[in-house]
Amino acid sequence: MVNKLKYLTMVSFKRKVITKWFVIANVLLALVLVGLFNIDSIINYFGGDFTSNQQIYVIDNTGKSYDIFVANMQEITKATSSVGDYKYDISNYDGTLKEAKDKIAKDKKIWLLVFDNDATNIIKATVVSYGYIDTINYQLLASSINSTKSVIALAETSISEEDLAKIMTAPTITREYVDVTKKTTDENMEMIMSTVFPMLILPFFMLTILLVQMIGAEVNDEKTTRSMEIIISNVSPKTHFFAKVIAGNLFVLVQALLLLVYAGIGFVIKMLTNPGFDSNGVTVVIFDSFKQIMKTNLADKLLYIIPLTLILMLITFIAYSLVAGILASMTTNIEDFQQLQTPIMIVSVIGYYLSMMAALFDGSILIKALSFVPFISAILSPSLLVLGYIGVKDVLISILLMMITVHLLIKYGLRIYKVGILNYSSSGLWKKMFTALKD
Amino acid sequence: MLKVNNITKYYGTLKAVDELSFEVLPGEIFGLLGVNGSGKTTTFRMIMGLLEPSSGTVTLDGKPINYDITDTIGFLTEERSLLLKLTVLEQCLFYGILKGMKKDEIIARVDYLLNKFQIPEYKNKKIKELSKGNQQKIQFITAILNNPKLLILDEPFSGLDPFNVQFFEDEIKEMAAKGSMIIFSSHRMEHVELFCKKLSIIMRGKTVLSGELKEIKERYRKKNIFVKGDIDINKIKLIKGVVSVEAINDQFIIKIAEAKYVTDVFNIISKMKNITKFSVEEPSLNEIFIEKVGESYGQ
Repeated sequence: MVNKLKYLTMVSFKRKVITKWFVIANVLLALVLVGLFNIDSIINYFGGDFTSNQQIYVIDNTGKSYDIFVANMQEITKATSSVGDYKYDISNYDGTLKEAKDKIAKDKKIWLLVFDNDATNIIKATVVSYGYIDTINYQLLASSINSTKSVIALAETSISEEDLAKIMTAPTITREYVDVTKKTTDENMEMIMSTVFPMLILPFFMLTILLVQMIGAEVNDEKTTRSMEIIISNVSPKTHFFAKVIAGNLFVLVQALLLLVYAGIGFVIKMLTNPGFDSNGVTVVIFDSFKQIMKTNLADKLLYIIPLTLILMLITFIAYSLVAGILASMTTNIEDFQQLQTPIMIVSVIGYYLSMMAALFDGSILIKALSFVPFISAILSPSLLVLGYIGVKDVLISILLMMITVHLLIKYGLRIYKVGILNYSSSGLWKKMFTALKD
Repeated sequence: MLKVNNITKYYGTLKAVDELSFEVLPGEIFGLLGVNGSGKTTTFRMIMGLLEPSSGTVTLDGKPINYDITDTIGFLTEERSLLLKLTVLEQCLFYGILKGMKKDEIIARVDYLLNKFQIPEYKNKKIKELSKGNQQKIQFITAILNNPKLLILDEPFSGLDPFNVQFFEDEIKEMAAKGSMIIFSSHRMEHVELFCKKLSIIMRGKTVLSGELKEIKERYRKKNIFVKGDIDINKIKLIKGVVSVEAINDQFIIKIAEAKYVTDVFNIISKMKNITKFSVEEPSLNEIFIEKVGESYGQ
């Protein structure tokens, strides 16, 4: 005797996976992911360059600014290495201003800095570039120019070289926390993870949408073709419901694993094409963050953060698929289902945006409370845990609440599902569903 | 034996089926007739166990219908219940396995039935690529895949040409001969007359006429007299008991209120010229249906 639940699950799963569209979508996903991981190499291939240092020509008309400026730039880039890899090749330019500008017109990446004497402000500087300079680079330049001016100003006073050296040396900054549980490494990690974590949970968000839409489309397909009547005359609505939920989640797991494989392939290709891994491209946000994470004690924390996050996400996937099945059973066509699923998607989007901005909300009771709300918790709760705003106990509460939600969805949702799947009329829909809930 | 015992079904305050009862024995073809919205589909759903009756019972061989015995039932719904993206074989495998059949058994049966219905070339074609008539054939095949003990056919001839109707008729009769219980619903009364020995006509969920087809026709007092020849219609209309006279093609149909008026009509017509046909026949089921349902509509 065939196990009908197993059979229905496998049929539903195969219908999602063994299609040309699944293959096409995954080929595209693989290309996109591998491409994203190697975007700097791709851009380089078409003329972009993330690996070379920024070239700065200096025309020092003051005769005293160049060396000080170079020293300041080295100090500043060293101090800011934790937030970015900014490297400069600074050289004295022997030609005229016009020649330098002509050179910039040809090689658009070069910047020119002209130092001149100034009667009132000691020195003045002109920054010449072909186009715009990004904010961080500009601020680094401006800081170095300011420091250069300060050094020259101090040097022109009667201050000794020894004192001048003391003034120029960066002071030691010791970080202390009243909260004994806080550590400098965690502070760095918070900064890093507020950037990285939303990127890592984006696939969860995408897979949720995919899961809801797939289950909705399948249930609606069986309803609109009336094959539902034949299926339900042979298997119970409960079996049918669980088969859809299991198959949907199985599909999402397979898709998630495939995304990991594609990311792995992208990573390997990057390693092979760029062994030093010392690039300065778009994807370095993740790679550099990874390097930074390894410097912190996050590796230990990941041992419980990853399993807790996965458990919470898995239970949330189940809850989403239950909701999708229930809503699909209530609607009579895919268009109605898509309208009905919008509120779920909005909840998911809210969770995603809150998690992206979580770093801004330290201490907010509302955000902490929202991290317990089922469906939102899957994204927000791990984000807050990573940032250290909530503890393991809070995540466990979120998991428990999510499990209660799943239980209630099964208990009451199944009643709606039983009535909904054989209902082909939208008139008096909500009344029918409330009646079903009471039965 | 299928026993539908006094079933009633309410949808909210609407009574969709009202104390309906009938029995179908092995080898019998039972006709359940009614206009759209009369409660046929609700009745079928209750028989299939898809809906719970508000009161009354449905039993098959003395047992209530549940998922333990639905594997022995075949169901053809009024609307196409096929997954259009699947191939014919995939669809048959899907429904067959849900009926508890084995894969090899299904494939062998599909081959047999596709050959019987003269469409073996469609085995691996997608259902959406088939014509409406061929889709109906596939739907019928999926309903009889498991050689059901009880077969429910809701409008089985929908979308079929006369040639294919004949295929269906032969198969249905063959199944009945093998002992299957068959419940049949159709708007086409000539089909019902061909198959059903017993029938019920329902209106707003309530039985308005029920019994053996032969008895129903006998009980029906009106008769039709078919006449060919040169007759004076106005003279015939004046005969007591004549309800109407219609000229259809090369013959006349004289409807009389009761059989006892046949002699009076015959005596007058026999005096008219070129009479080549005088035949007294039972009214068609269609006439009975229209009259009975019409009465009910009026109420």
